[in-house]
Amino acid sequence: MTLPTERVDAVVVGSGAAGSAIAARLAAGRKKVVILEAGPDRSNDDLISSAIWSRRLKWNGEPVIEGGANPVGHVFNAGYGVGGSAMHHYAVWPRLHREDFQMRTLFDRGRDWPIAYEDLRPFYDQAQLECGIAGDAEQEIWRPPGEPYPMPPVPLFTQGEIIANGFEKQGMKTAPLPLAVTTNNYNGRAACIWDGWCDAGCPIGALANPLTIHLPVAIEHGAVLQANATVTRVLGSDSGEFVTGVEFVDEAGEKKAVMADLVVLAAFTVQNPRLLLASASDKHPNGLGNSSGKVGHSIMSHAAALVYGLFDEKTNCHLGAFGGQLVNQDSYRKDTHSDAGAFGSYQWMIAQAVKPNDLLGIATTRPDLFGNDLHAFMKQAAHGFAGMTGVIEDLPVAENALTLNDQTDRFGVPLANVTHTTHAESKALWQAALEEGQAVFRAAGAKEVWTGPQAAMHIMGGTIMGDDPADSVCNDFGQAHDVPNLVVAGAGLFPTSGGVNPTFTIHALAARSSEHLLANWNSIIQ
Amino acid sequence: MPQSRRTFIRNSGIGLLTFYIGGCEVEVTPEEARQQQIPFQVLNPQEVLTLEALGNVLLPGSATAGLAHFIDHQLNASPQDQMLMLKYLGVNPPFASFYSGGLAGLDAVAGTQHGSLFSEMREEQQLELVGQIARGNPDGWSGPPAAFFYFVVRNDAVDVLYGTKQGIEDLGIPYMAHIEPPSRWGE
Repeated sequence: MTLPTERVDAVVVGSGAAGSAIAARLAAGRKKVVILEAGPDRSNDDLISSAIWSRRLKWNGEPVIEGGANPVGHVFNAGYGVGGSAMHHYAVWPRLHREDFQMRTLFDRGRDWPIAYEDLRPFYDQAQLECGIAGDAEQEIWRPPGEPYPMPPVPLFTQGEIIANGFEKQGMKTAPLPLAVTTNNYNGRAACIWDGWCDAGCPIGALANPLTIHLPVAIEHGAVLQANATVTRVLGSDSGEFVTGVEFVDEAGEKKAVMADLVVLAAFTVQNPRLLLASASDKHPNGLGNSSGKVGHSIMSHAAALVYGLFDEKTNCHLGAFGGQLVNQDSYRKDTHSDAGAFGSYQWMIAQAVKPNDLLGIATTRPDLFGNDLHAFMKQAAHGFAGMTGVIEDLPVAENALTLNDQTDRFGVPLANVTHTTHAESKALWQAALEEGQAVFRAAGAKEVWTGPQAAMHIMGGTIMGDDPADSVCNDFGQAHDVPNLVVAGAGLFPTSGGVNPTFTIHALAARSSEHLLANWNSIIQ
Repeated sequence: MPQSRRTFIRNSGIGLLTFYIGGCEVEVTPEEARQQQIPFQVLNPQEVLTLEALGNVLLPGSATAGLAHFIDHQLNASPQDQMLMLKYLGVNPPFASFYSGGLAGLDAVAGTQHGSLFSEMREEQQLELVGQIARGNPDGWSGPPAAFFYFVVRNDAVDVLYGTKQGIEDLGIPYMAHIEPPSRWGE
């Protein structure tokens, strides 16, 4: 596809979950859209079922310099290529809870969101119908109100049954994990076969990734997708009052530009603020959209609480989805573990399908073992392993920030520094979750129970939204306070992290922003 | 002649390595590369000896399965095409210095403690020294943090032995690929 030479309605930077969702809606709304993706083009044929192969889906662009006591794990969490990080995401799609939107008002921590759950609810409902979520809303007793899921829940395999028994013995409840994965034929998409290859990319269309859901819609409606196009700067008007397009470098190394009435930055949590800061000008000396000084601030990352066990029974731990089979949100109340100095919410993703190798593979859970001991463990664990992961809320810390480094990349753009140290109350919550998880596994009859180190899961913040232009970067639709025809999309908008996976909320926000943009197009691009 | 990016990617995904020998592209598995003594592109002969000895302590059989050729091949690829787990462990490319530094550190400590190279030590001495680096930097260690180096190479060995269709099925787990690699590692 050839890039249009004339001015377009919108240029979208990034082709992941947020970018593709907005691009599809704008294109369907008869807007001329260009999507620029820094990484390579991808098709379903590229999604080979191999944990080694899957590493190509991770970030491969310019290095990010990580610091702090708990680095965000950028390469592992980010994506590269058409579809972005959503190509290797696990499609665990719970909703944020009502209280997540009012952290300052209710708990005197972090910030309030500029919207309430009720504002986002219809867009959660819209996105779940569009993308397809399997689950059981009635069983999810913790779930805020919303339409029931459009597909029946994920089947329960032996690993899930065993761990669920442990939860029950501890007086805790489990429910089917809400997954954006097909459990039956859905809108022409085949049903999942529960092979556990989600992390390597799902080529059959069972998992709701951009190649399956939004990019085909965008392209069908005339959007032009250009891969290997690295955006280096957002261009602004002489007055500084609006943006006019973006500058990018193509595969041949040639510097080009796309001029547009609307610029959407959807290049993931790290690259969005990096681009804003790197687009400083006379009118925006501290970075584009940064009159508040908040661009890059409040970077958050869920701490993963990893709990493992070995059972005498055959667990069939290779079956299911990479995200798991069941969910528990008994500890979503923010003060559940306050006696341990903890604060915040978490959920358990229970009974995840595992492979032998890679960072989340069976072998990596016991890094202390080597030699014949490792062989023996692998043979045993291949059949008796079970695991679950806690998604621990990360309270925002102002010092957890993205800044520009003195070093520049090959295009002359400063590299990003990202510093992250977990809030003390979040760290205590992670510890409390590990203790709870081990008790569950012992109750389930595990003959061995162990835990993993704190791992970083998801990256949020950095371009947070809020009502106060002096304390936030964007409004509730993602428009930069300083420059209304510049929109930021993705988890970077989150003022707080909640204790659930972010992708469903990213989709709901993108749907809400798109509706607003289309309804108010002329005034926004004026 | 460098192989094309497409060839590299295709072959890496299915467990084959492509070498340019005698004017021809030769596609082999890591194990075959080792058996055929195909030249290394990045690792030097001493590094190969040390790496294979380390691999066999970390996961017996991994050297025979082609651990050194697997790592060498990935190190010779462009950063974008590398498939080493190291890439998402907080280390920015190029990665060759990570491996050369760690292997040199291992030999240096072996020399200090036993007066020999790691590959020439007795098996029980190797086991003991690997136990040391798993816990932290032994006296005289240089290069990347020893425990991290242990973690990375151990996982490389797991990749080669248990990360393939063959390896997974050897554990009694069905591979169940959507897009199945047409060949196992080591075939």
